[in-house]
Amino acid sequence: MFIDNMINQSGAPLLEQVLQFTAARHKLIAENMANIDVPGYLQKDLDIHRFQEMLSSAVENGQTGLAADDFDRITNDVQNPTNSILFHDGNNRSIEQLASDQAKNALMHNLVIELLRDQYQGLNMALAEKVS
Amino acid sequence: MFDTLDISSSGLTAQRIRLDTIAQNVANMNTTRDANGKPNPYQRRFAVFATGQVDNPDAPGVHVQSIQLDDKSKFRVKYEPDNPDAGPDGNVRLPNVDMAIEMVNALEASRAYEANVTTMEVTKSMISASLRLLA
Repeated sequence: MFIDNMINQSGAPLLEQVLQFTAARHKLIAENMANIDVPGYLQKDLDIHRFQEMLSSAVENGQTGLAADDFDRITNDVQNPTNSILFHDGNNRSIEQLASDQAKNALMHNLVIELLRDQYQGLNMALAEKVS
Repeated sequence: MFDTLDISSSGLTAQRIRLDTIAQNVANMNTTRDANGKPNPYQRRFAVFATGQVDNPDAPGVHVQSIQLDDKSKFRVKYEPDNPDAGPDGNVRLPNVDMAIEMVNALEASRAYEANVTTMEVTKSMISASLRLLA
């Protein structure tokens, strides 16, 4: 259908997947932040680099986003990164790493929102037949 | 996205309870008697954290599992023969509260509290950005 093509052939599905991924990652970052003083807690994270690689190869192959099951797998694949110092209480907290990850993730989220808004605005403009 | 706020608020609650116990310790720094008025020095308390929400340990978040008595560290001892709570040797046993430790813990708790507040602000900005898609 024409309207379906308009909505689903552009970058929108791709952007939606990025949004879902950043939302899921933000949740884990908030969890890490809440558990900053819990002995034995290991930090949780999603593999953003792998996600971006998968996404860019999907784009190169002419797809509008990741396949649904690939996407589910990568957003549910919670990892325990071991690149920070393990403290004596068994927690590998790194507040600086967390803060910068949080900022980057939120900026990415808000950037993608803006791109998506732009797309919808284009659609709106076309539908209204005038420049808003 | 909305339940991310619950995670941060569980962190806020836990850190506030921790700060409460620290305040209790500092307030009772020199308490030499128990609630019944018997000579029995106050023992410092500390909050034990565990992952998960109070009602659901599998949900993401943090909660205070228990408030425990510190019966391992020794009471402070002060020579004060005139004090009614002094022992036969003239020494008074004072609570095992160390001001330096409490202060450092309080600082840590308030910083962790701030970190959770910041996370909440970020979550809110992300949610309101998403809501602007509707407008």
